[in-house]
Amino acid sequence: MNEHVKNVTPETTDLSRRSFLVGTAATGLVLGYAGVPGIDHALAAAPAHFEPSVWYSIAPDGLVTVTCGKADMGQHVASTMAQIVAEELGASWKDMRVQLASNDPKFNDPVLGAQITGGSWSTMMNFDAMSRAGAAGRMALTEAAAATMGVPAGELVVGNSVISHSKSKKSMSFAEVVKSGKATKTFTPDELKAIKLKSPEQYTMIGVSVPQLDIPSKTNGTAKYGIDVMLPGMVYGKVVTPPVRYGATVKSVDDSAAKKVPGFIKAVTLDDKTGTTTGWVVAVANTYANARKAADALKIEYDGGPNAKLSSESLLTEAKRLQGLSDSGQFFVKDGDPNAAFGTAAKVLEAEYTTNINIHAPMEPMNATAEFKGDILHIHTGNQFATRSGAIAAGAAGIDPKYVVMHQMWLGGGFGRRLDADMTVPAVQAAKSVGKPVKVIYSRENDMTMDFSRPLTYQKVKAGMDGDGKLVALSHDVVSAWPTQRWGIPDFLSPSVDKKGPLDAFTVNGADFFYTVPNHYVRAIKNEMAHNATPSGQLRSVAPGWTFWAIESMIDEIAHATGKDPALFRVELLDGKGKNDGGAQRLRNTLLAAMGLAGYGTLKLPKGEGMGVACVSSQERATASWTACVAHVAVAPSGEVKVKKLTVATDVGTQVNPDGIRAQVEGAALWGMSLALFEKATLKDGGIEQTNFDSYTPLRMSQLPEVAVNVIANGEKATGVGEPAVTVVAPAIGNAVFNAVGARVRGLPITAEAVKAAMKA
Amino acid sequence: MPNLNINGRNMSVEAANDTPLLWVIREQLQMTGTKFGCGAGLCGACTVHLNGEAVRSCQTSVADAVGKKITTIEGLSAKGDHPLQKAWIAEQVPQCGYCQSGQIMQAAALLSKNSNPTKDEVVAHMDGNLCRCMTYSRIQKAIMRAATEMRTASATGNERRAT
Repeated sequence: MNEHVKNVTPETTDLSRRSFLVGTAATGLVLGYAGVPGIDHALAAAPAHFEPSVWYSIAPDGLVTVTCGKADMGQHVASTMAQIVAEELGASWKDMRVQLASNDPKFNDPVLGAQITGGSWSTMMNFDAMSRAGAAGRMALTEAAAATMGVPAGELVVGNSVISHSKSKKSMSFAEVVKSGKATKTFTPDELKAIKLKSPEQYTMIGVSVPQLDIPSKTNGTAKYGIDVMLPGMVYGKVVTPPVRYGATVKSVDDSAAKKVPGFIKAVTLDDKTGTTTGWVVAVANTYANARKAADALKIEYDGGPNAKLSSESLLTEAKRLQGLSDSGQFFVKDGDPNAAFGTAAKVLEAEYTTNINIHAPMEPMNATAEFKGDILHIHTGNQFATRSGAIAAGAAGIDPKYVVMHQMWLGGGFGRRLDADMTVPAVQAAKSVGKPVKVIYSRENDMTMDFSRPLTYQKVKAGMDGDGKLVALSHDVVSAWPTQRWGIPDFLSPSVDKKGPLDAFTVNGADFFYTVPNHYVRAIKNEMAHNATPSGQLRSVAPGWTFWAIESMIDEIAHATGKDPALFRVELLDGKGKNDGGAQRLRNTLLAAMGLAGYGTLKLPKGEGMGVACVSSQERATASWTACVAHVAVAPSGEVKVKKLTVATDVGTQVNPDGIRAQVEGAALWGMSLALFEKATLKDGGIEQTNFDSYTPLRMSQLPEVAVNVIANGEKATGVGEPAVTVVAPAIGNAVFNAVGARVRGLPITAEAVKAAMKA
Repeated sequence: MPNLNINGRNMSVEAANDTPLLWVIREQLQMTGTKFGCGAGLCGACTVHLNGEAVRSCQTSVADAVGKKITTIEGLSAKGDHPLQKAWIAEQVPQCGYCQSGQIMQAAALLSKNSNPTKDEVVAHMDGNLCRCMTYSRIQKAIMRAATEMRTASATGNERRAT
């Protein structure tokens, strides 16, 4: 039998979503609340009154569907939220389902007051809210069951989705209670706050490696990502991006050749008043293959704009110039007087550390589908910052953000890339122009050259030691583009210590470490040239990805210069005095755990091999997961570095899903290694030179080292795990290379050439 | 109008002969389990089978696929229970999951010929498939687990035949 498949796009039967959406029947029990009092609603006002059906619903068949307001990019956060709810609710794991939230403000993060996923914040900031939502559900169900059974609610026990009364041997399943229609109790924020939650020894679900709910759909092709969205009557857009990353304008578009491409509809030149894109054109056609052909056939003339001559070298030169000025930047940390202390120090060390531009390159290229239906603009895409991205889409459409509905999808990788909204702009303007829904898909080349990249950074660190080799002064200048300032949201900026106006703390976080150094300053210096030429974004771990590269390399350099063991020198500095009390001890313990696990100082290594340590308080001082790494490397005479093993210990306080944490920590550590050794992007003539995975080369399976992960769960509050391990690996590798062959490399990525040159030096 | 045999069904599609198979599978046939990653054969996200061989569907034209048996992730097993798919769940391999259809299809081509691969053989066979979440160690474990299951199943089958 031969079936004929026409070249049209009928409405899809979205099986994976449907199976997740089971259980949202109107008769279901719905629970949720508008957020706890005292939280900071940074962006959007939380609903003023209690709204039902926020975090989860229970259907008459007993299935519990949790709505996740966080973007799920592979960290299984939806599953984690469900796990926290299930713990207090007393639901069986097999009854749990998840769905992804729209951008309705009622799904805003209860702490952040917006829909944003990043910072390794999700678990720590939602643990309490999900716990209370779960507990409230259990109480409502129990009350209803007690009334039906005619027994006191206090005598009922809840577990495995069943409410039972041992004396009378009566029991009711959640399904039966919901079907009875008697579970109607609602909770005010104050009542929710008053609920006594379980203590950790009562946990039966938190701390258990239950299977992640999204994984089966990711083994059979049914999980739906933004790129998989199909709308009736939809057409496709392929963007044509200029050779200059930012600042170019389109002078003319000749579509005469494109018109010969079958299915070509229109070339739309973007008029982006949000400033997210510059000089972009979208070729729209009936299929993506035709849109690509048409895009290739367009002849576009550009004005390269003010950044067209810039290169990585010019950005670095400018960074050095800015650092040299005494009045540059703003102070992030200012303790004591380092400059005076350098004058009396017995020994002073100075070093410069750099990182190159890095590209997110998630496996799913950027894409978005836009559809105007009546007054409403619908955007279908996987996005990490629905609150802002909806507003950008609205800006591209020229409408009020309240008319934008963001339909969240599974993210084929986020890593911070999908905090941005650029992909919505061509989709919106093309859809508006052709009067049809349009799905825009970036080519990998568009995706790489138009990334909101990790910026090129330049750091200068100066250290002063007294006669005993004690570190008494440290100054640290950090020069970079300011990725978070680019968002234009004042709440994400931080006041400077010297009151010179707000600074972007997401360029210096980590530099406010937990070592005790009496005279310490950190200066955040914005590289305006880099900021304009390479609009930067938040790349997995953000600032601690470069600040700890500098700090943890410098601490090692100081130890070697003063004849101390670098690991033990760190232990000395982590004395827990003053403001460092608590955090310093946790970090010290984590470092010792990693050292023990790796055999640091006990394992005899052959010539050319070495171990190096680093320890970090990523992501931010207030939200740290205490993480340490011992890297074991072998360095060839050519300078080539082979990582034999990464041993990572991390103190996360409380583990929700131990297996999930291990997956995240391992992935993060390998990201750190990939950034340390394999990933480098460069700017030339205003454009990013690397366009695909042949020239931008993340770690592959053949480069995989042994990775040992030790998770410390000491009962403190749950912290984040998606990012911290990224930040600890590069300095650990750099320090290991030095211990192996005496070569100190101060620029990332660490290349064989740089190691070889440093070996000779 | 090229005729394709895909997951056991014969279909004629409206596409120029030089259209990459990937886009025909995804857009016309609406089988979106096969993913677009790089468009240049560098990442493996679009891997499907042509007559049992793993190929990059972004680098395979519709014309090249005519007359061959095309298998996508949707057609690898009837119920998503190929030993590799079961192993992928048992080892909790996927993170974002976007590359995993391609990983599974690439691995399936290996195990169909060699159900007892060494670690080096696995690495050599899988090295063209990028995973940006870096789930490589779990991918390796899952392939070994599936291989063991396939060998056990086949040994059991042989015994049955022998008796």
